[in-house]
Amino acid sequence: MFYAHFCIPFIVGAVIMLLTLLYRYISWVVELPKGDKRLIAKGIFSTATLRSVWEIIRESLLHISIFRVNPLLGYMHCSLAFGWFLLIAVGWIETTVYMGAELVPLQGHVFFRYFATQIDTHIPIFDHIMDALLLFVLSGVALAWFKRLRSKALGMRRTTKHSVGDRIALSFLWFIFPARLVAESVTAAVYGGGGFLTAAVGGALQHTLSAGALEAIYEPVWWFYSAVLGGFFIAMPHSRYMHIFTEIPLIFLRNYRLRVTQSSTSYDNFQLQSCSRCGICIDACQLQSELGHNGVQSVYFLRDRRANRLTMPVAFDCLMCGKCQERCPVGIDLNALRLNSRATMRNLPNERRYGYFKGVDRSEGSGKVGYFAGCMTLLTPHTLTAMQTIFDAAGEEVWWADRNGGVCCGRPLRLSGETDSANKMVEYNIELFRRHGITTLVTSCPICLKTFREDYNLEGIELLHHSQYIERLIEQGRISLKHADNQSFTYHDPCELGRGSGIYEPPRSVIKAIGTLIEPKHHHRNSLCCGSSLANTIINDAEQLKISAALTLELEATGATTLVTACPLCKKALGRTTAQKIKDLSEIVASNLN
Amino acid sequence: MATNFGFSISKPRVIDMDANNLRKSDDILASMPQLQSCIGCGACTASCTAGNLTSFNFRKVHTLVRRGEYTGVYEELNKCMLCGKCRLLCPRGINTRAAVMTIKRTLGDF
Repeated sequence: MFYAHFCIPFIVGAVIMLLTLLYRYISWVVELPKGDKRLIAKGIFSTATLRSVWEIIRESLLHISIFRVNPLLGYMHCSLAFGWFLLIAVGWIETTVYMGAELVPLQGHVFFRYFATQIDTHIPIFDHIMDALLLFVLSGVALAWFKRLRSKALGMRRTTKHSVGDRIALSFLWFIFPARLVAESVTAAVYGGGGFLTAAVGGALQHTLSAGALEAIYEPVWWFYSAVLGGFFIAMPHSRYMHIFTEIPLIFLRNYRLRVTQSSTSYDNFQLQSCSRCGICIDACQLQSELGHNGVQSVYFLRDRRANRLTMPVAFDCLMCGKCQERCPVGIDLNALRLNSRATMRNLPNERRYGYFKGVDRSEGSGKVGYFAGCMTLLTPHTLTAMQTIFDAAGEEVWWADRNGGVCCGRPLRLSGETDSANKMVEYNIELFRRHGITTLVTSCPICLKTFREDYNLEGIELLHHSQYIERLIEQGRISLKHADNQSFTYHDPCELGRGSGIYEPPRSVIKAIGTLIEPKHHHRNSLCCGSSLANTIINDAEQLKISAALTLELEATGATTLVTACPLCKKALGRTTAQKIKDLSEIVASNLN
Repeated sequence: MATNFGFSISKPRVIDMDANNLRKSDDILASMPQLQSCIGCGACTASCTAGNLTSFNFRKVHTLVRRGEYTGVYEELNKCMLCGKCRLLCPRGINTRAAVMTIKRTLGDF
């Protein structure tokens, strides 16, 4: 009894979608590297699976993290996802209650209102519940329409510009629920019944249309509902709505500790296709807000990479400040994906390259503590002399890795996609550190620190940023500082140190030991980028200055007498746009030693 | 009598602009017009991390490329570590890191 001809578009669409999804997911999993498969095997029977289920309820259905961006935007996503899910789930329960153990085919559940007219029993409470859920989803659709007109009302300065595939799928999606409302209302008008919503709309239809007209449109409205559903299902895997299902395996795989690596793997597919193109990353991007660069933000980068038409100007126009990644409600590993995309464009393996490293060792001194200045610190010698002063005051025996010049840490090359070249530097530096037997490595450059942490295998050597090292010296009482409340500082979180390495508090506690700390408007996870990031090779000097000037404005607005940062590159960038004193953390420590 | 003064003078040579093929050089300039504002001050070379360890000299390499002398340029540019100090020092604000990448990409193994 659960079949009518109008079900054909729905059935065809559902089958095509199911086959497409199965084919994709299975082939992606099959193509995973062996190590990743082992991780899955290890994780599948652990608590990671339970955690994943909980995360799926929170994020894929309720969209908790979007509520944090803007409550209305969160409600919109929640009503569409959770509402639709409940329609399906409660609909399933409804048919089960009506039909008992009898096996009902898929279309029987979806179009139950149509088939229910042939059943004698009637349980009105389900009509009302299903109507309430439909209203819940429809409110989300209405908000989505409204967002297209006035995105600001939902807390978004800009929304995503969609591709053709997205527009087709979007049109189908927007029609699904109104079509369902019309189909169920017409049914209520013809056969009676219906919940508070469909009965009311049905009643209104009875007033305006003749019984003959209602009879005539009865089948077509169900055909239309079935057609938009089928159309959406066919368009879905080729549009942004692929994220609806892909986020689920992504959450499992992520909790099984699969990661995006320096060369692209099949796991990247799950990450790429989980992007819902919500566009939250666009507003976070300073290239957009300060420079008006459009079409390069993470949402567009992912779109281009998904469609295999990623170009260098898009892949390379990014500061990799990590602000978008911090806000991404799906938690996509945006920076890592961009990096391994770059590696496919610029990576030119050449064994002869950097042969000149052989035998180079300009280090001096000896001690268990090594200090790696990094290229940028060598360009800001005040930081270097300040570190010398601090080491002397603490009585630390220091091995200076590169005070007289040395080899770069490799991160700049890595950021430019030359992974193989960068790895030559990794090899060289690891060998250098091991040869001198250090147990602690201090660096004043967050760029070096990040690559030391992530790309170097330095087991047995503790890695410290100089802010952590100085904080430790103070705690251990090896140095003491003059404190004066009338000295006020504001602190700029460098991207690579804060969002990049998660070091926020050590520099702050050091500053508080010297004077008062005033936070700028954007700080901690939301701090701005100075614009000089090595990751971006597209923007020109004037554009860098513009980004830096915007940051300077915020820092100066705090009224603090000294601007402090903990990255030599940020210091250089800020120094160009401020007339105020800009100091590295080590400098204010060195000049306030007791 | 030959005395070693610790330095040498480059051999005299002629750059024949009629014989040199400037097509690649023009391509590079077209994709990075800002290179035209280089005043040849050498700040890039003075600050260079690779230049500190080798004879790598970006000012020289860049000038050679501009004149259509491409031999050995690609190998020379592969000494660059892209650390970006030169970009911070360039008085003309040239995006030197992008320049290195552009020249490498255009010349390949010339």
